[in-house]
Amino acid sequence: MNTENISIIHPRPSSIVAALYTLRDLNVDVAILHGPPGCSFKHARLLEEDGIHVVTTALDDSGFVFGGHDDLVDLIKKVIDMFNPKLIGVVGTCASMIIGEELHEAVLEANPDIPVIEVEVHAGYRNNTKGVVFALESALDAGIIDEDEFERQKFLLEEATMVEKRHGAASREYLAPSRGDVKYTVAKRIIELLKAGKRGITIMNAKKETGYMFADITVAVTEIARQFGVEQKVVNMANLDETLGLPRVRHHAECILKDFKEHGIEIHEIIGGMDEYPIAGNVASKLIGEKYSDYDFAVITGVPHALPMENLSGMELISVTNGPRQVLPLKEMGHEHVIVEIDLHPKTLGVNHIVESEFGATLREVAKE
Amino acid sequence: MKEQKRIAIYGKGGIGKSSTASNVAAACADEGHRVMIIGCDPKSDSSITLLGGRRIPTILNLMRSGLDIKEEDVIFEGYNGVKCVEVGGPEPGIGCAGRGIIVAIQKLKKISKELEVADLIIYDVPGDIVCGGFVAPIRKGLVNEAYVLTSGEYMPLYAANNICRGLKKINTQLSGVICNSRNVSREEEIVRKFAEEIGSEMIAFIPKEQIVQDCERDGYSVMEKAPYSGIANVYRKLAHVIMSRDKAVMPDALEDERLRELTR
Ligand SMILES: Nc1ncnc2c1ncn2[C@@H]1O[C@H](COP(=O)(O)OP(=O)(O)OP(=O)(O)O)[C@@H](O)[C@H]1O
Ligand SMILES: [Mg+2]
Repeated sequence: MNTENISIIHPRPSSIVAALYTLRDLNVDVAILHGPPGCSFKHARLLEEDGIHVVTTALDDSGFVFGGHDDLVDLIKKVIDMFNPKLIGVVGTCASMIIGEELHEAVLEANPDIPVIEVEVHAGYRNNTKGVVFALESALDAGIIDEDEFERQKFLLEEATMVEKRHGAASREYLAPSRGDVKYTVAKRIIELLKAGKRGITIMNAKKETGYMFADITVAVTEIARQFGVEQKVVNMANLDETLGLPRVRHHAECILKDFKEHGIEIHEIIGGMDEYPIAGNVASKLIGEKYSDYDFAVITGVPHALPMENLSGMELISVTNGPRQVLPLKEMGHEHVIVEIDLHPKTLGVNHIVESEFGATLREVAKE
Repeated sequence: MKEQKRIAIYGKGGIGKSSTASNVAAACADEGHRVMIIGCDPKSDSSITLLGGRRIPTILNLMRSGLDIKEEDVIFEGYNGVKCVEVGGPEPGIGCAGRGIIVAIQKLKKISKELEVADLIIYDVPGDIVCGGFVAPIRKGLVNEAYVLTSGEYMPLYAANNICRGLKKINTQLSGVICNSRNVSREEEIVRKFAEEIGSEMIAFIPKEQIVQDCERDGYSVMEKAPYSGIANVYRKLAHVIMSRDKAVMPDALEDERLRELTR
């Protein structure tokens, strides 16, 4: 299928938003949106939950007509006074980019004595990962990341784009959102499998901070297996390599691993870093082919559609996603049960411990019956 | 009641739109018509020669300062009662002048009574229609007659031809072609032919005369400063034609090849 030129009509996050999240991962203290008030406000607020300040130059019609250079210069100075940041990001928007605003000129004029990551981005890119690339390029220029990390990130982004085009939200012109299967029914099925002594694999392949909640499902499945005395029949895999990724992302892996340890949960296979969700699935697939091909079922959380199907085909697949638009593609790939953790992302911002998931809670309740 | 004339004069940059617009405005005012000129160029140079060289506050500048704008803040009376408005806009190279025209025109529409009562409203637009903002006066329904100004040179004709293509695209008829001479050979013939071939008509031939620039330098229209000159008569005649004209056609732009042939 030619997915290169399809125009996707369902709502998706923009490149501006992608740039904002990248700045967050780069640990900026303040992100300045240069554009109209309200642009990307929903994600801006979520990022505030995650501890970074997001502000806007709030350009109005006069700003569009006469440019917003002075507003941006003033705002850079103001946030430095207000928040005393060590690193700030300045992000373009459609309006400011269309009228040709030069972020760099404003930064030069404001002349802050801290590094600034300038991201000349607007929302008009079909691949929103463009926003990430622009932010990383600018971070490279500002000396915030090195060339190796930049190349690594770029590779991962290309892979992520491919994953989305193959089986993700960019795979089709329109994908209807869906709530997925009923959690209660699927929880019962997992417990049935465990009780029957079936062998299972949990694969957490989570995108960065979303792992705080997907990890809870690994915990729940393991706890229940323990309760039924079949813990040794469950193998846990997770993309929790603490040595890979930007500092903030590595920190998430550390926190989650620590929590796992406290719950006495063993992760048998580390399949990559928390930013490696586009490729960690390949590692998992290879391991399954080598060691676990005769297992009966798999519970795949996070970005389940990044897992190749070859070595999974003999298993009963239960996947947990936070994307309502992911249900259909996953079903089509052959996942028997698809569950959506609605509104997962907001609950995983600004935390450093595993957060209870609805499905985890359901599993625990059903196990009591 | 006379039907209100709401015209815009399009043409290549620098071809003489503003000086033609202000002279026609002055000539119509002399005839006793109630005239308004709306400069839609960030240069704000449409009304200077009607105001004795004076510059007036622009709509966009006033809006920018956050004031609650009233009609009297932006409409100024010039030569013989001509109402002058300048939209204004950013310095070259900054911001978005096109958006400025849209915003200012909408503002004016809201606050201005004059827009309803004037007999003739002339929208003086910048040369190149580089984005949607520059056709806002038409698109927003403020203009009901479009004229094209050109000389007999190839590039101005090329621009005029493109404008015709654009007018058709936005479903706007052309009321006539005005030739503003640059003293090139066979000029009148070339422009007349061009006008006919696109389906329209050449409604005036304005000679190139030093006096236009002399008056402009002093801050006046020819009508005010040299009312007895020959060219003042030409403007007077053009004003007449415009005020009485009710013919308009959907122009058919020429192929580039044909346009070259015409000017050879
Ligand atoms: N018939 C004429 N004879 C002599 N000079 C003329 C004539 N018409 C216009 N000019 C001069 O040509 C110059 C450009 O004219 P004008 O500013 O009216 O052009 P314009 O089309 O409005 O330009 P722009 O596209 O920049 O708005 C002016 O100095 C003006 O005095
Ligand atoms: Mg002009």
